[in-house]
Order: sequence, then structure tokens, then C-alpha cells
Amino acid sequence: MSLVARHLEANGIPTVIMGCAKDIVEHVGVPRLLFSDFPLGNAAGKPKDVASQALTIELALKVLETAPGPRTTVQSPLRWSDNPDWKLDFSNVERLSAEEIARRKAEFDANKGVARTRRVEAGVAE
Amino acid sequence: MTDTMDGLDFAPPHDLPIPYLRRISTYYQTLGYGAPYRWAQYADVPFTPLAKPLAKSRISLITTAAPYQPDKGDQGPGAPYNAAAKFYRVYTGSTDGEPDLRISHIGIDRKHTTAEDINTWFPLKQLKRLAGEGRIGEVAPRFIGAPTNRSQKTTIEQDCVDILARVREDGSDAAVIVAN
Repeated sequence: MSLVARHLEANGIPTVIMGCAKDIVEHVGVPRLLFSDFPLGNAAGKPKDVASQALTIELALKVLETAPGPRTTVQSPLRWSDNPDWKLDFSNVERLSAEEIARRKAEFDANKGVARTRRVEAGVAE
Repeated sequence: MTDTMDGLDFAPPHDLPIPYLRRISTYYQTLGYGAPYRWAQYADVPFTPLAKPLAKSRISLITTAAPYQPDKGDQGPGAPYNAAAKFYRVYTGSTDGEPDLRISHIGIDRKHTTAEDINTWFPLKQLKRLAGEGRIGEVAPRFIGAPTNRSQKTTIEQDCVDILARVREDGSDAAVIVAN
């Protein structure tokens, strides 16, 4: 999505990204990012929490309006939880057993096969 | 939750944005997949200021979510990663009504969230409210779906071009892009 933002912006369309993976988006380099420090999948606010969703989109629009230049990142003040331990889990091999790593590898390989079939069906196989 | 040092209350050391680049590279190397993925990286970043106030602007909503496909397996709340639900071409859908879009084909955090509420990844309802209140001019007649290809070359050479064309067809003044 960072690449999309860059392409639109280079062609005269202002953008704001709403995202949860701050380092990835900033690594690519985008005009404007509203960063929510939430588990991936919640870039537009917390589940079943309309107030957080309203605040999140309002912050994104403010970033769109007021960013002084490219690489503007604003972090939402909202917290996923008072306990930050959820941040230790995602794709963290230090917290996985050898058995779990093997299971995930098998699952990943299976999904790769499915994705390959889908690409062929969609006519975009490499 | 605080971490005390020298009588000062700091946040715990891991209470920072997750270092995804490092985590994901280490993860796939540990699983046994050779050369680490290299994310796109640029020194220069384009920037276009808004041409008119948001209250007079038409806004496109761009999403990585996929339309629900009943024949493609579990895409509901708590679904495991579902590669069958992926899509490979830019698509559009009407912003009238309430489109049913899912994110089971995306690497979300499945331990700590369940994708139970579309409004956490597709803020159409909020954008319509803001249009009704005059905060933005209007929501574009179509939302735009962006494929999550691992091939950045395809994203740049095909998807970005297709998305720009659709934003222009819709006469939009700006875009809200939701990454997942």
C-alpha cells in the first residue's frame, strides 16, 4: 500500500495511509501515515468501538490536511491494551518451540501452493 | 503498565511499535526460506498538498480487503490465513450500501485480534458519516481493492497504474488508503 500511496502522490493525488506496521511503511517512504499501535488488522480503529473508529479516521483526515511535507507520521494516542505484552508475539521466533516452527513451515508451504493455484486461475502466474 | 528505573516510571522496554522488518525477516529465515525479503525503499518521497478543503473534496477509499467469496473457505472472524481468498487484480465495488469485505487472506495478528468488525479495516461507514456532516465533500462512488502481491514489481507496474486510473475515473481529489 505504501507503493500505491507513492504512485498516486507522484501523479497529483494526495493520500494518507492508515496503518499498524510503522517501520515497514516508513522504510518504503510515504507522504503521510496515521499510525495506530494496534495488532495488524485494526488500522481503522478498535473492534466494536465506534468512538475509536471515529477518532482514528478524524486523525487520518487531519494528517491529510496538515502534513507539512513527506514522511509525516502521526501516532494515534489510543492504546490497544494497558498491557503491551501482545507486542512480543507476532512472528517472534524467540517465543516459538521447534515443533511450532515446523508446523508453521508446513502451513506456509501449503498456503503457497494454494496461492500459486489461484494465480494460475487468475491468469497472473509468473 | 510501567517499568521503574532509578525511581522513574518508564514504559516497559518492549512497549514500542513492533519491529516488523526484523521480526518477519528472522521468522522466514528461521523457517528455512533463504534470502530475506527486501522491502521497497526510496530516498525520495513524493508529496502533493490538498488542492481544496476536505469539505469540498471527493475521497477515494483504497483497501487490501477482499470481497467475501462463499466458495473459498473460512473467511469469518478468527479464520486462519486463507490464501484461497486472495485476489490478483485491482477491483472496485460500489460504496452504496455495506460491502462485505474480509481480510482472511492477509497476515493480520491472529493471536490478538479476530477480524470480527469490518470497521477496523474498512472505514466506509465513518467516511459516509463525515460526508453527511460536511467534514469531507463526498465519498467516491467506488472503493478500490488493491492486491497484496508478494511481487513488488507487479504492484508497481500493474496495480499502482490501475489504481491511479480508477481514482481519476472517479474524479477524486484525495485518497484514504488502509493497509492491513
